[in-house]
Amino acid sequence: MKKSVNYLLVLVLCTTSLVMQLQSCKNSPEQQQTAKNSGFEFKARLSEYGFFTGVLKELHPSARLINYDLASPLFSDYSVKDRFIWLPLGQTMKYVSDGLLDFPDSTIIIKNFAYQNKNHERIMLETRLLVKDPAGKSWKVMTYLWNKEQTDAEKFIIGKKIPIELLDSKGQLVTTNYQVPNTNDCKSCHVNTSKLTPIGPKARNLNFTRNGESINQLELWASTGQLTALPPVSRITRMPDFQDSVNYSLDQRARAYLDINCAHCHTRGGDAYNTGLFLEFEQNDPNYLGIMKSPVSAGGGAGGMNFDIVPGHAKTSILAYRMNSAEPGTAMPELGRSLIHHEGVDLVVDWINAMKPLKK
Amino acid sequence: MIKHRNLPFFLLIIISTLVFSACNNNAEKTNGFIKTLVFGPGDEDKIMEAFLSIKDSTKIEFKEGRYNFNRLSINQGKNIVLSGAGPEKTVFDFSAQTQGGEGIRITDVIGFTISGIRLQDSKGDLIKLNKCTDVVIDNVHALWHVADSTSGGYAIYPVMCKNVLIDHSYAEGASDAGIYVGQTQGAVVRNCKATKNVAGCEIENTSDAQVYDNEFYNNTAGFLVFDLPGLSQRGGNTKAYNNFLHDNNLRNFAKSGSFGTSWGVGNAAPGSGIIILATSNVELYSNRIINNNSSAIAIASGLTVDDKAMEKINPAYFPISRNINIHDNVMEMGQSFPQEAYTHHMGQMLVSVEQKLAQQDPTRKNTRIPFILYDGVTTNIMNNGTVPNPDSICIKQEGVNIFVNADIININSKNWHPNTDIKPYTCQ
Repeated sequence: MKKSVNYLLVLVLCTTSLVMQLQSCKNSPEQQQTAKNSGFEFKARLSEYGFFTGVLKELHPSARLINYDLASPLFSDYSVKDRFIWLPLGQTMKYVSDGLLDFPDSTIIIKNFAYQNKNHERIMLETRLLVKDPAGKSWKVMTYLWNKEQTDAEKFIIGKKIPIELLDSKGQLVTTNYQVPNTNDCKSCHVNTSKLTPIGPKARNLNFTRNGESINQLELWASTGQLTALPPVSRITRMPDFQDSVNYSLDQRARAYLDINCAHCHTRGGDAYNTGLFLEFEQNDPNYLGIMKSPVSAGGGAGGMNFDIVPGHAKTSILAYRMNSAEPGTAMPELGRSLIHHEGVDLVVDWINAMKPLKK
Repeated sequence: MIKHRNLPFFLLIIISTLVFSACNNNAEKTNGFIKTLVFGPGDEDKIMEAFLSIKDSTKIEFKEGRYNFNRLSINQGKNIVLSGAGPEKTVFDFSAQTQGGEGIRITDVIGFTISGIRLQDSKGDLIKLNKCTDVVIDNVHALWHVADSTSGGYAIYPVMCKNVLIDHSYAEGASDAGIYVGQTQGAVVRNCKATKNVAGCEIENTSDAQVYDNEFYNNTAGFLVFDLPGLSQRGGNTKAYNNFLHDNNLRNFAKSGSFGTSWGVGNAAPGSGIIILATSNVELYSNRIINNNSSAIAIASGLTVDDKAMEKINPAYFPISRNINIHDNVMEMGQSFPQEAYTHHMGQMLVSVEQKLAQQDPTRKNTRIPFILYDGVTTNIMNNGTVPNPDSICIKQEGVNIFVNADIININSKNWHPNTDIKPYTCQ
């Protein structure tokens, strides 16, 4: 009997200490902080969101998903991209300017990356999500890496090099190490003045009629009630398709290319603010555009040249040189590609060469 | 019965284990920080993950050993400390870098300290801190084993930061500057060494910098204070004192094929101790500037390196150096220019100045170029003025052969007349 009491006492003591320790654990500052910041939590697998119906890798959008394209997309190693916007039930996007649309809280922007292998099969690489978290009204990023079986994609934060053989835009087989970005890589391009923001879905970059459609993308969304406050699209800036030499001038095409590929960093408040090279579509100051501008911190990346752009001389222009390199430390953009985008380089080379040389 | 008797103790063990593993991962402990993580060599993937998911007030300790990284980054956070066992013991090697512009990139962190770590052999810069506040870089060695144009630009590279301290650190092999502080407000560089870089230390478009008790040696140029046009802010208010700048006579290996116009550090002549370019309110005193054999101190304007400099004037840039105060330094110079100066465009200019002075005054035949070279471009050229020393260049140095106004603007004309009269520049 005495022994049982002892057992009971020990048991009580143990339980008390367990509760106390768990309590102190719960109240640790870190726990409190997590609780305070709690908002959107990324799911472990892409399939858990229910964005798509049927076989996941076919990316059949569910009814609430808006499939969209950009007039001029960013180059990422000739990968094939699919883009979607997931709007919370009953919510709409709002037009505010030719810049980014105003997205409601809990919007998810989805971008899928795949490549074409030598058998012209589409191989899924990664799916990136950009979520507008209602807690703090801030955007958050996550990357999902597709499995070998191509049945699902899993949350993946540390980035990865994936050796692949892909067909480029000319159908040539190219071998490379595709770089899945880590979550900080995502931020380097998406952060402006310390805030994460989407890059692509600007009204001016959505203001066109997609292949196979009969109506302008923005007007289509307005007609389905997914986009409000849209003015007549003729009043919205139209970002040129950099490949469309019929409807746009060389200058417009090159500037559109630089805007989508470079200006998220090369802008005030962007990751490359310190360089003083600003490549937004609307930038008109020749020095900020790099014309006879000396580099600031290019180091060896300048390739022994003195100016970002020498009008009429692409060969002595750092801008073209860095786009035409895949070497770390030289290659621009720094992230997001391991291959040279030959069409992009050709365009920028033609653009620089067509500039009137400066008088001595 | 025996079983029964042992049950409470058994339970106690299970419970303790549960509690321990629930909130006390053995790699985490608390000591002023909310979280301290400890890693060793072989943990590279875990380290990368820890950097990517780092929480405020985290300290990461790195045990002794060599770590191989592709690249590392921390983006946004507060109160973060990275600490190694010492620069000889904890080594981060970035020679496997395949993407990105730097080995370690720290962006947007408030309160960041790195100490006791050696960083080596990245493809781009070694450590870049972009838009950070309250930065301490202490006892960090950052180096490339091969010092040539294949090295990255900057070894230690805070840019657009506020309140930076670089202490007891070492930089070697940078193809631009070993220690480079750019577009920053408030910086202290002290007790550091830099060698075999193009520039040992460079303060660029940075305001309120103090550089003291450092040794910069065997670089192309020991120490540079620069402003460049078109950037986010103007520099100025730099003090450099008690530094030992010696034997900076290395070839200029900044990658600049044509060595032309305005590109910053490519313009530094081999054999330069200190260069002040296009900036204002600089005080240099009590430095030992020894055996930098092209010039001990050079004061230049943006026009000397860029003929479009005047077009670039705005509130963040003024090309003519002003309010320069030089006093009480110890200066010595070797018998001749370093060989590399003869093939460098600025070096050649300095060689011509020495020759011209000897030609103007035959008694100078075997006299070296004066210690302090001023390019002589003043604000007089903006208003056709004739005021002597309109930009307050103020020199108080004992000895002879201290100063030359090199009259650079006329270097290619018959009227070129370098002048060693220091009187207008003597501090009142």
